[in-house]
Amino acid sequence: MATTDAVTEHFELIGARGHEPLLEKITATLRFDVLNGKRTEHWFLSIKKGDIAVSRRNVRADVVIRGQRPLLEQMFSGHANAVAAMLRGELSVEGRPELLVQFQRLLPRPGDARSRGVSAGYAKRLR
Amino acid sequence: MSDGAVKILDGNTFVVSDSRGDIEASLTDPTGLFSYDTRFLSKWVLTVNGDRLNALSVDDLQYFETRFFLVPGTGTVYVDAKLSVIRRRAVINGFEEELTILNHEDKPVSLTVRVEAASDFADLFEVKDALKKKGTYSARAIKGRLELAYTRDTYRRATAISATTTAKVDKDGLTFKVRIGPHGTWSTTLNVEAVLPAVARRSRPIMQRELEKWLAGAPQLECDSDELKTTYRRSLVDLAALRFSPPVAGGKSLPAAGLPWFMTMFGRDSIFTSLQALPFTPELAETTLRVLGDWQGSGVDDFRDEDPGRISHEMRYGEMTAFEERPHSPYYGCADATPLYVVLLDEYERWTGDRKLVRELEYEARAALNWIDEYADLLGNGYVSYQRRNEKTGLENQCWKDSWDSISYRDGRLPGFPRATCELQGYAYDAKMRGARLARLAWKDASYAERLEKEAADLKRRFNRDFWVEKDEYFALALDTEGKQVDSLTSNNGHLLWSGIVDKSKAKAVAGHLLGPRLFSGWGVRTLAEGEGRYNPIGYHVGTVWPFDNSFIAWGLRRYGFKDEAAEIASGILAAAEFFDGRLPEAFGGYDRPVTKYPVQYPTACSPQAWSTGAPLLLLRTMLGLEPHGEHLVVDPALPRDIGRLELLDIPGRWGRVDAFGRGRVEVEMKRGRKR
Repeated sequence: MATTDAVTEHFELIGARGHEPLLEKITATLRFDVLNGKRTEHWFLSIKKGDIAVSRRNVRADVVIRGQRPLLEQMFSGHANAVAAMLRGELSVEGRPELLVQFQRLLPRPGDARSRGVSAGYAKRLR
Repeated sequence: MSDGAVKILDGNTFVVSDSRGDIEASLTDPTGLFSYDTRFLSKWVLTVNGDRLNALSVDDLQYFETRFFLVPGTGTVYVDAKLSVIRRRAVINGFEEELTILNHEDKPVSLTVRVEAASDFADLFEVKDALKKKGTYSARAIKGRLELAYTRDTYRRATAISATTTAKVDKDGLTFKVRIGPHGTWSTTLNVEAVLPAVARRSRPIMQRELEKWLAGAPQLECDSDELKTTYRRSLVDLAALRFSPPVAGGKSLPAAGLPWFMTMFGRDSIFTSLQALPFTPELAETTLRVLGDWQGSGVDDFRDEDPGRISHEMRYGEMTAFEERPHSPYYGCADATPLYVVLLDEYERWTGDRKLVRELEYEARAALNWIDEYADLLGNGYVSYQRRNEKTGLENQCWKDSWDSISYRDGRLPGFPRATCELQGYAYDAKMRGARLARLAWKDASYAERLEKEAADLKRRFNRDFWVEKDEYFALALDTEGKQVDSLTSNNGHLLWSGIVDKSKAKAVAGHLLGPRLFSGWGVRTLAEGEGRYNPIGYHVGTVWPFDNSFIAWGLRRYGFKDEAAEIASGILAAAEFFDGRLPEAFGGYDRPVTKYPVQYPTACSPQAWSTGAPLLLLRTMLGLEPHGEHLVVDPALPRDIGRLELLDIPGRWGRVDAFGRGRVEVEMKRGRKR
């Protein structure tokens, strides 16, 4: 299996964060089922009070998030909104859906690149 | 909403029908079975032998349950009814309807009972805007069940209808061939289920138990006024009805209480309602803080007007949100919820002593405080202002007065954007002061506390200089893009008192305006003063009286020591509540009290509505002068004389449970409806 695809890259990036203050209230495991033709890849994101570990090893999950590979790639790059995808039925969520909401806080937004490029106050950015 | 409409609800599932229990909706008519912002039934019509029924009476059993008593016949005279029909309906993941027919004759009868059903699966946004659907419909009879469905790509919503007795099912409804013996009874239970993904389910016994627990846990009110007792109980029951556990909050993160969302999650409304209800049901505040914390913005998304640290405005679950034709997944376009989030966290700690939550939410509170300076100062002038980045479907006015014409100069002109409305500066000031207290108390960060206090002091100094309308002695509604005053006299002045941003030397003049003839109608404070260019006594935010607004104005008056004035407002609003059987609408007309004698309900006002339901609770707090002081609750009553004796027993808080007593002494009768 290729290891340089966007989904793998994003999971590795998230795993490399080690600790994420946004998730300090959370201890849970999220399973992502990435559908790719007839194959399904499983990714496990284990969070322990903000400490993040990513693996492919099967463990019991608190939520299973399932979607086609292109959708997940879009989500991870900030171009698809996970909650809207869930409402559309494009992303299926079984278990504790609030974990998806909390996880989404780690993902970039479409406007993030722009805002990172400017150091002055947002006020000046808008003007 | 149709006249005589009957509504039952639980959280964001509700049924609106006519007094017979029938539903015949059109695209623009908000009747039907709604759940998660989608209409799951637009037609639900009962006939017996082909005839429609006539309503004898309707019993509201619970907020989630009602009973219709009907007789066959199309005329208005039904003295000789040989049959009675009873529909008992309860909201449960859709609704359940127990249909009972009584034969009053000495001989058996054979009947054809028919229920016609259909659904347009309209998004609430479509009902508002009358838009055309893009997907396809289907209706299938399968194994004694009728399944109505709507599909658009991967999006699917369905309504499953079944009965406990045998029915002939076709794609337009269910037919029962019924034979009832002399003086006999026939009954069936129809089940209408709204089918959508990932939604928590509830059952009626749990709802009933929850309500009993909820009522038992709240303080007991003892008083001379039966009307006030009715209003109090109504408020508690309606708050229970409006609680809502969204699928994304998860059973675990919610205490039994749930959250009073206005059908869906509204950042601002949930925070204001939680503040109002703090002395009564503090667990609402905890849930609000946790859930809004989970949804807090973490990036820049122009479509949703999202910024890092920003508290969300509104979450919707319908088709248009799913396909991103509307930004509510969630939408972040409001400028007040973020500072108010910090205000609620601090006020919650003052009542409950729950420092653990303050520590848990340190990240979210700091991000909210950071948003004020980093993302909300759009003009770089040190004031919070707003301008939508989603110009197509975003909100123009991102303050609580969010209708298009709510922010105007005295002459009626509308300012450009960004707009810095005054109450936003008050909330920002309060958030900084309270954030400083929390930083010392729970985050052990004295230098951050000092920084916040310094910024707050600076904001207060500039605000009292730049917003003060010198000539008439009140605070302007807003500053425009050039820093000029948007000079209308509005109720926002009351929120400024509540926030503490008003210089002591200016407070008396402000209080005078709030209780003066231009703003005070006799029932309450108008949103916009009589005499302003856009004043209209039935204009949504330009002249009506909002009970929620008034409850915070009363709190503000107390904060600056104007006890009698606060009591006068409480007296007016509570008197108005009596005209609505204790259920205050969202808004009512700003007509002078002596002119109409009764409060005129705003034509399309929502009722019940969470923050109107919370208004009597906050007014009780302000009248009794309840204020946490360290580990104690201070009680300093100033009650209108017509209230008489008032006792609030078992007020929960960091002190355990304590009682508060008061006796009416403030004379408001003579001041009522005074004119220039």
